Amino acid sequence: MSRHAEAPGVPAQPVIPLPHARDLSAPAARPRVIAILGNPNAGKSTLFNRLTGLRQKAGNYPGVTVEKKTGFCDLPSGRRVELLDLPGSYSLHPGSPDEVIVRDVLLGLQSDTPPPDLILFVVDATHLDRHLYLALQAIEIGRPVILALNMMDAARAQGIEIDELALERQLGVPVAGISAAKGAGLGNLRRLMDREVEPSTTHFRRWAPHLQRVLQSLESRLPGHPSLPERGRLDLAMALLLDDGEDDALARSTPPAVLDDARILRRRLDQIEPGWRSDEVEGRYEIISEIIASAVLSSGQKHDRTSERIDRVLTHRVLGPVLFILLMGAMFQSVFAWAQPAMDVIDFLVSRLGVVLRSLMPDGPLRSLIVDGIVTGVGTTLTFVPQIAVLYFFLSVLEDTGYMARAAFIMDRLMGKVGLSGRAFIPLLSSFACAIPGIMATRTIDNRRDRLATIMIAPFMSCSARLPVYALLIGAFVPNRWIGFVTLPGITLFSMYFLGILAAVAVAWALKRTLLRSGKPLYVMELPPYRVPSWRSILLTVRERSLLFVCKAGTVILAVSVVLWFLASYPRGGPAVDSVRSEIAAAQSAGDHARASALENQLAGVSLRDSFAGRAGRLLEPAIRPLGFDWRIGIGLITSLAAREVMVSTMATVFGLGDAGQNAVSLRAHLRDAVDPETGRKLYSPLIGVSLMVFFVLACQCMSTLAVARRETNSWRWPVFMLVMMNALAWIVSFAVFQGGRLLGFGS
Amino acid sequence: MSARDPGPNEDEMPLDRLGPGERGVILRLEGDRSIVRRLMELGLVPGTTVEVVRRAPLGDPVELRVRRIHLSIRGSEAAHIHVAPR
Repeated sequence: MSRHAEAPGVPAQPVIPLPHARDLSAPAARPRVIAILGNPNAGKSTLFNRLTGLRQKAGNYPGVTVEKKTGFCDLPSGRRVELLDLPGSYSLHPGSPDEVIVRDVLLGLQSDTPPPDLILFVVDATHLDRHLYLALQAIEIGRPVILALNMMDAARAQGIEIDELALERQLGVPVAGISAAKGAGLGNLRRLMDREVEPSTTHFRRWAPHLQRVLQSLESRLPGHPSLPERGRLDLAMALLLDDGEDDALARSTPPAVLDDARILRRRLDQIEPGWRSDEVEGRYEIISEIIASAVLSSGQKHDRTSERIDRVLTHRVLGPVLFILLMGAMFQSVFAWAQPAMDVIDFLVSRLGVVLRSLMPDGPLRSLIVDGIVTGVGTTLTFVPQIAVLYFFLSVLEDTGYMARAAFIMDRLMGKVGLSGRAFIPLLSSFACAIPGIMATRTIDNRRDRLATIMIAPFMSCSARLPVYALLIGAFVPNRWIGFVTLPGITLFSMYFLGILAAVAVAWALKRTLLRSGKPLYVMELPPYRVPSWRSILLTVRERSLLFVCKAGTVILAVSVVLWFLASYPRGGPAVDSVRSEIAAAQSAGDHARASALENQLAGVSLRDSFAGRAGRLLEPAIRPLGFDWRIGIGLITSLAAREVMVSTMATVFGLGDAGQNAVSLRAHLRDAVDPETGRKLYSPLIGVSLMVFFVLACQCMSTLAVARRETNSWRWPVFMLVMMNALAWIVSFAVFQGGRLLGFGS
Repeated sequence: MSARDPGPNEDEMPLDRLGPGERGVILRLEGDRSIVRRLMELGLVPGTTVEVVRRAPLGDPVELRVRRIHLSIRGSEAAHIHVAPR
């Protein structure tokens, strides 16, 4: 049991020294921590971005996938405070992992996060009643609170009039009207944040007598919590009474005896007062309507007509899905079209850098490590960035305008059939470009199990890195014949995409019935009013996501690239390599330059074959022979761990084609016509080509995907499961295709 | 806010039976206790007027308006919310 004490403990963030004179009232060891709290869609993140600018940092709370965002903000007095952007929540009594974190931070139980010195509570002024629900819970704990009435501009436009002073009196906390999106009222807010705010002394508890007694008795049994204000102890007791028995900070910080007491008291209360859970909510809403009655002078028009009109089109029975498909199509196309030039530029710059370094450094293992290992690894990481940036740009626009919730609303029925929520659709669609941004986009799914299931199936979507492989194999083995309105290569390519979707549906269905079965999930989603997005916020998100990818996943990708470089380049030389080398020397001295350059190309193939990767490829052969693959393909499978499209260049190297092999047409012909030097028979049949494509559809070959899955699930368990599950499935299906095809007589 | 107890003779029906544009006053919620509590925390408290705005193009979920907020819940959950049609 770890009781959270006042000791600074392990700071989660590097402590930045205060630039100016310290405020005496603030604890000397760390800057004042101000937590931004509020309902989803209250505009918290926009306000956070406004207050911190670029001085922010994202990470995870330990052991969970909940994002922790912190930043620094300078106040008018010159004092620098730390801002903590808490996840959006509806209640102190959690319904999602995000809300568990919020509860534990507010109650001072989250060991890595110091309890906030001040809570900046953001409410949407146009939906004051519902947003006040959590606000009252937060004020009750007894920490100092400032209430930021956000979206005052929208409220005024809708004819809503709020008496800020009356609200201040009712709540007992300072109130500031702002518009985070427009930046209005922020000066006043900053001045308030600079002041010493006293906690509210007003009570908002309306508990039935039985509940009251039970809570008081439970509270008296709680151990001391120095970081929790005295009146917050009753909220801690309530949290224990409503606890679902999950192993979280609340359970870990409470002595087992008290947990047992809570269980007994809950059972007793269920007998004498069965409706206590809902009565407590009703009581709070009664208080809220009293506050609203005295503080809201005019509640304005009935609803937001603009949003209503937009929704009549965008969620229309027929138009809605049509527009949704068009929008998704346009987005998907743009991810391809906008990211491609940037990826080409990065590719070009990285290869130029390689060429320059190659000419500057003497030949040797160090040059090879830097050019073929490190520069290639960095290049691989960077080429993902344009896709991530473009996709996140679209995702943020969809999220911030409010369309994302509508997309989930439209798709929920369809996704529900495999046990997922509508929110899974966009991450999966994004995975057709690349599973990495797709997996990162699953953050919009609030149910943890749904999110994990979506991450597990995202790599089945045929990403753009598979396309060169499909193109090579289709070009080599599928005859270009017309069948009705379509061509055979077209049908084959479509089938590969379709196979991936089919596998994803099957795996999602199976996972949701076994490992990721959710008890009784409640699918409830707010459809926020449409808003003009804040471009500043969107660009900040894009920047943050890209940086996060480069820093967190990039390091793993780089490490894997270096390991793969080592496997493909060592051991250096061997009898076969030496004999080719001496032949080259002989040809050069004989003046036969054509032969010398042909031999140079062969040399690359021979050294790859003799390398660890080559040996592993041959070692792999017995395992992949039943799928129709030989050791040459085995080498390609190993090198394609760096990125699937590396398969193409590896095959060119293996066949000794050199740079000419990069020319797809000659490699296709080569694959089609290659003969086994021993038997004189053709090496590869169309059936092998199909079997190999199927393998590429289903296998988990991408180390970068695993690195991102590791980061997003915060454990190695899920990426390992992904690797084993996908590769087993790939092997089985390829086996069935190849052996079944042979039985049907497609073998040769 | 209107009274909590709507009287015994009022006709009661599950929310999922209301058509688009129809309104009702919430009488009670049933089902899993923590789900009921959650729905209430989101504002679906007895005595509150709720309107079915529309159904999703594929028939489910439904979009509700309560306290000027638009919520989407699945039909299976709406069936647990009992309302008096208005």
